[in-house]
Amino acid sequence: MVSPRANGRGNELITLDDVSKRYPNGTEALRDVDLHIESGDFVFLVGSSGAGKSTVIRLLIREELPSTGRVWVDGQDVVRMRRSAVPRLRRRVGVVFQDFKLLPRRTVAENVGFALLVTGHSEEEAREETERALSLVGLAQRRDHFPDQLSGGEQQRAAIARALVNRPKILIADEPTGNVDPVTSWEIIKLLIRVNELGTTLVMATHNAEIVNALRRRVVHLDRGMVVRDEREGLYAA
Amino acid sequence: MKRVSYVLSAAWQGFWRNPVMSLASTFTVGLMLLLFAFFLATDRGLQAAASVLESKVELALFLKDDAKVSDVLALRALIEADPAVSRVDYITKEQAMARLVEIASRQPDIQIVDISTNPLQASLEIKLQNAQDAPRISAALRDEIGKGVVYEVVDNPSVVDKLLTITRVLSFGGVAVLGMMLVVALFVIVNTIRIAVHARRDEIEIMQLVGATDWFVRWPFILEGMLVGALGAVAALTAVLLAAGPVTNALVGFLEIVPLSFGSAFLWQLVGSVFALAIVVGGGGAMLSVRTHLAK
Repeated sequence: MVSPRANGRGNELITLDDVSKRYPNGTEALRDVDLHIESGDFVFLVGSSGAGKSTVIRLLIREELPSTGRVWVDGQDVVRMRRSAVPRLRRRVGVVFQDFKLLPRRTVAENVGFALLVTGHSEEEAREETERALSLVGLAQRRDHFPDQLSGGEQQRAAIARALVNRPKILIADEPTGNVDPVTSWEIIKLLIRVNELGTTLVMATHNAEIVNALRRRVVHLDRGMVVRDEREGLYAA
Repeated sequence: MKRVSYVLSAAWQGFWRNPVMSLASTFTVGLMLLLFAFFLATDRGLQAAASVLESKVELALFLKDDAKVSDVLALRALIEADPAVSRVDYITKEQAMARLVEIASRQPDIQIVDISTNPLQASLEIKLQNAQDAPRISAALRDEIGKGVVYEVVDNPSVVDKLLTITRVLSFGGVAVLGMMLVVALFVIVNTIRIAVHARRDEIEIMQLVGATDWFVRWPFILEGMLVGALGAVAALTAVLLAAGPVTNALVGFLEIVPLSFGSAFLWQLVGSVFALAIVVGGGGAMLSVRTHLAK
């Protein structure tokens, strides 16, 4: 029960302290998980399906609450935070999913700008920031296309642009390469590395051993809800 | 400002995304409001009528238009002879109309629309020493009906009583029917908004994911509900205004009553009440729907 400020690690952005999560149906998704992620880190969450990766992600954006334990994100106690404070938390944590979650009847630019308009930014701000995010992911030329006119990799890049447009401190990617071919996977990964180099902390859940092994970044291995391995320059399997 | 325009345009798009459902609920709400307006007007009309009748007169003897003045005066003398009667006034057709005009001028709720013809009858107004004698005297005077002078005997206190009873029954019945219509309208709005929420569930999921506040997510739906209500109100009030003239004329022709209409003060009150109810029902129903279907 140590707060991130009290434990002397002032740079810590994400803290899970003794977190367990049991779903109403009895599934024990997480057991006594401790996880500390510092600002600027690039962390792979690995483990088989059902190991608890998605539950960790849901806790970080407060889609779920832990059964026991504490969760801090960017200095804020996520568990005790009021419901009305959740939107502000989510503006600091961008999320990218395997299935992109783009709105099919809006163009790429509209999809990206949407994240700003619905969080109360003016249309002018939205236009500027959208252009910035689209050029960062290399989609400026495709701004007026609809999602079904894009390749899988382009759709994922659009989703990343949307996740970044609010300038979050943390980008969470849940299996971002799960729906794209190997070549495209590498494009996505290169983009995420670039995002990380620009200062955004990255947490990526993945099954892609090739990528994990090639990058030699921090690897947190979950197995049946427990952290079984946490290595600085880890491999996909021990 | 940008937030407002975003929310407004989202509400407008939401309304037209499923036009059949939106128009069906607008129609239902409009029907409910029409009923509401009808009860409001009827209730007000009956109350006004009762207050006009609640003059000091206890018994009124309406005279046939062709009755001879000498016969009328003879009848008057006969009535005055009764010890229970304190006073009898002879009111001519013209005096009756003048009095009505005067009463109407003091009542903001009623206006006399057309005084080119005078459907009022001349009458003998009888004041009694004791109101309890009214039934006996009115019974005696009713025997005079059909003998060439007396057209009708009106026992005013009982007419007023009857009117007030009708008003009360209508109010109760109206409230009951209105209550049922309200439930139906709410149900339809809740469902319309539920469908609207369902149609936009992907959008809502992303809005919540990127950190839109609950109110930002909810307002378009609540405004859409209010829009349904407001359009229903416009429809209902249009129907009322279009129907008001013909209905009044029909009533005048059929019931041979003096053409009375409501004053502008009441009209504005009616418009205000109908719109207020429309907004409350539309917005309330939508809020109810959004609360249950946007739990997360």
